[in-house]
Amino acid sequence: MPSIGYDAARELTERFESRLLARLEDGVSRRAVLGGAGTLGAAALGATGSAGANGDHGGGSDEDHHGKFGAAREYDDDGFDPHEFLGEFETGELLGATDADGRRIREFELDARDVPIEIAPGVSFTAWAYNGQVPGPTLRAMEGERIRVKFTNRGSHAHTIHPHLRNLDPAEDGIPQNGPGVLETDESYEYEWIAQPAGCHFYHCHSLPLKEHIHRGLYGALIVDPDPERVRENPAAYTNHHASQITPELEDELVARARSRNELPEYEYRGVHDYTDHDGVNEMVMVMNGFDTNFDGDNEVYAANTRAFAYGVGSTDGKGNWEAGETKKPIRIDRNELQRVYLLNTIEFDLINSFHTHSQFFDYYDHGTTLTPTHKTIDTIMQCQAQRGIVELDYSDHGSGLYMFHAHQSEFAELGWMSFFEVV
Amino acid sequence: MAGESETVGGIDVPRWLGALVPIVLLAVLVGALLVSSPFAGVQSGEPLPDVAVSHTTLPNDETVVLHVTNAGAEPVTIQQVLVNDAYWSFSMAGTDDRTLAPAESARIVVPYHWEPGWDIGVALLVDGGATFHHTIVAPQPAPGLTTDLLLLLAGIGIMVGVVPIALGMLWFPFMRTMSDRLLHATLAFAAGVLGFLAFDAGFEAFEVAASVPGSLEGNLLVVTGILGAALLVQAVSARQGESPLALAYMVALGIGLHNLAEGLAIGSAFALGRASLGAFLVIGFMIHNVTEGPAVVAPVARGERPSLAHFAALGALAGLPVIAGGWIGSLAFSPTLGALFLAIGVGAILQVDWEIASMIRDRGRLGTASNILAALVGFALMYATDLLVVL
Repeated sequence: MPSIGYDAARELTERFESRLLARLEDGVSRRAVLGGAGTLGAAALGATGSAGANGDHGGGSDEDHHGKFGAAREYDDDGFDPHEFLGEFETGELLGATDADGRRIREFELDARDVPIEIAPGVSFTAWAYNGQVPGPTLRAMEGERIRVKFTNRGSHAHTIHPHLRNLDPAEDGIPQNGPGVLETDESYEYEWIAQPAGCHFYHCHSLPLKEHIHRGLYGALIVDPDPERVRENPAAYTNHHASQITPELEDELVARARSRNELPEYEYRGVHDYTDHDGVNEMVMVMNGFDTNFDGDNEVYAANTRAFAYGVGSTDGKGNWEAGETKKPIRIDRNELQRVYLLNTIEFDLINSFHTHSQFFDYYDHGTTLTPTHKTIDTIMQCQAQRGIVELDYSDHGSGLYMFHAHQSEFAELGWMSFFEVV
Repeated sequence: MAGESETVGGIDVPRWLGALVPIVLLAVLVGALLVSSPFAGVQSGEPLPDVAVSHTTLPNDETVVLHVTNAGAEPVTIQQVLVNDAYWSFSMAGTDDRTLAPAESARIVVPYHWEPGWDIGVALLVDGGATFHHTIVAPQPAPGLTTDLLLLLAGIGIMVGVVPIALGMLWFPFMRTMSDRLLHATLAFAAGVLGFLAFDAGFEAFEVAASVPGSLEGNLLVVTGILGAALLVQAVSARQGESPLALAYMVALGIGLHNLAEGLAIGSAFALGRASLGAFLVIGFMIHNVTEGPAVVAPVARGERPSLAHFAALGALAGLPVIAGGWIGSLAFSPTLGALFLAIGVGAILQVDWEIASMIRDRGRLGTASNILAALVGFALMYATDLLVVL
């Protein structure tokens, strides 16, 4: 039996609500006043310069005392959207023909261009970019296919494309010393690679100086989906288990996981996903990169997918309240879906990069070449340059709200590689 | 014919017109260039951006204020601010937007909770990704502009500036009784004191000039200030003739400008939160400055004694600028003005040294052993006592 009547309770609630609202309004105005006072004080202190209007504010809507970490303002250039990039997979064109080995041929077109890109709000960087974007398009093929890349160099420097694949023809390696070598401006070449092994891979320019060509933006992800039939034929190739350890149950599970990896909805060989309780899988590509804007051999901007803080919040008062910005906003994810991140590190000038999730542990598949995790239940993974892997996250029993993820080199995080999932 | 006009090709041309011809032609040429802009297409790349952080103020431990000037040839936009290698929010004051026109100054106000004694590294990131770094070494909260601080600085100024000079001037009755030889040596001693101060303030001026935004050419500003002050004072004294009292005033002015710099140093030490003016330091300043008293009054030691009002004015002119300097310095003065003040002081001192030398030469011989040694003693004594006053 409650000791207070319903009417009394409602009245009390209303009183608390109005008091809270009053306090909130008071707090906001007080902060605004303090911010203004600070500016006036600063104006009075300066011997030079006129006392003047407060210019446009940095990070957020109102001033708080400890300041707000993060890039000021929103992005201007809408040429590249890191949120769209997450789930954009370029599957090329599947040709009817097969090659002499009976491999299906999947054809892509890439070029290299010199383009200015916006890497932090207002800060542009003259990139060398595949198809005019950094990271380049995420290429996706099925294990065993022949990948044909019709490449034209439209940039001012000589470029190549070097794939991190198990390629059997050295001429197709995309290095200056072999095959067509570097391609000068307006030269073209058709690279032919074999999509193997299954996994999360990497392509990049191998012209010299290598450091410059990679750091300027010539890289992208190359995903090879495991073929469930091949997994059935040779399950030991897709796990760290010895062949003698492969039980029929494990074999079935490996095949199911291979199907789950083919989750792309519009993919014509979409598999049947029956291995998780999830309604589906949400796949994302995150290329950890950085930019040295002042040529001092150190990056001024770090990010997942080029734009500093693009997966951050637009503004926050530091008291647990936040707002999504127009271009800076968390990645919204459905808790009922398995979250699969194809994670690559292309960072230049720093030895390693890392991926750390808050309030969450994940399974990690190094290089994505196995169907059983190489690390199980971890919350931080480290990658050297060119290392990559698959991260699988399950938020099904997490409460709604923001979950931070970032490089756990604090410096990288504070220089842009700081992101959030918003679980809904 | 030295008349009002000259005959050119049979036409009478007024002389003033002849003086104007080059100026008029230049104006026409400039106008034509502005209208037709024939060099508009001539551009080799882009001029490099240059943003100078001239100084910083720390009004409290939650705010960092950067005083910036666009020292480049093109407008520049402050896109991002990094504090200790982290992107941070900021606002700009003293300008309408984040873009600074060439030579425009503004303040960047960063709400950052800093820790006293822990260096703050700041980088400004502009459009093209260029960065401009500034380190605030061992930051301390500034006490802020309060009546208490102004009174305190006034008190310190009186103790280190006015009192020692007044004490030094009390040698005047004794100096009236000196032989010519001894008085000339005293004047040479004063010249040595002033010579030291010229170097002292001169080095200081170039040091401050290093913080002057590049486009204002800090070093040349100092040179112009020194020569300008010296020539200006020389012109004034050449017009008025050499009266001993006028020379005394010139000495007082030169010393006053030097003491202004001393005040600036004390005041800015307060502004930076670095002032530890213990009794020892105050005593050091007093001993250092007591030698300035006889330097001021030595020129009037012969002849008619000036009125007491003149003595008071001389002492005030030489000593009170310490207080003014302290106040200006505690307000985080601009390095540009600071360097200029110091340079003007150096110029005035150099001219005064020249004047003292010619006074001795007029009354007797300049290059005697006693005069030269006295100048050396003045110089050396200033060096020795200067060691007592390192802030």
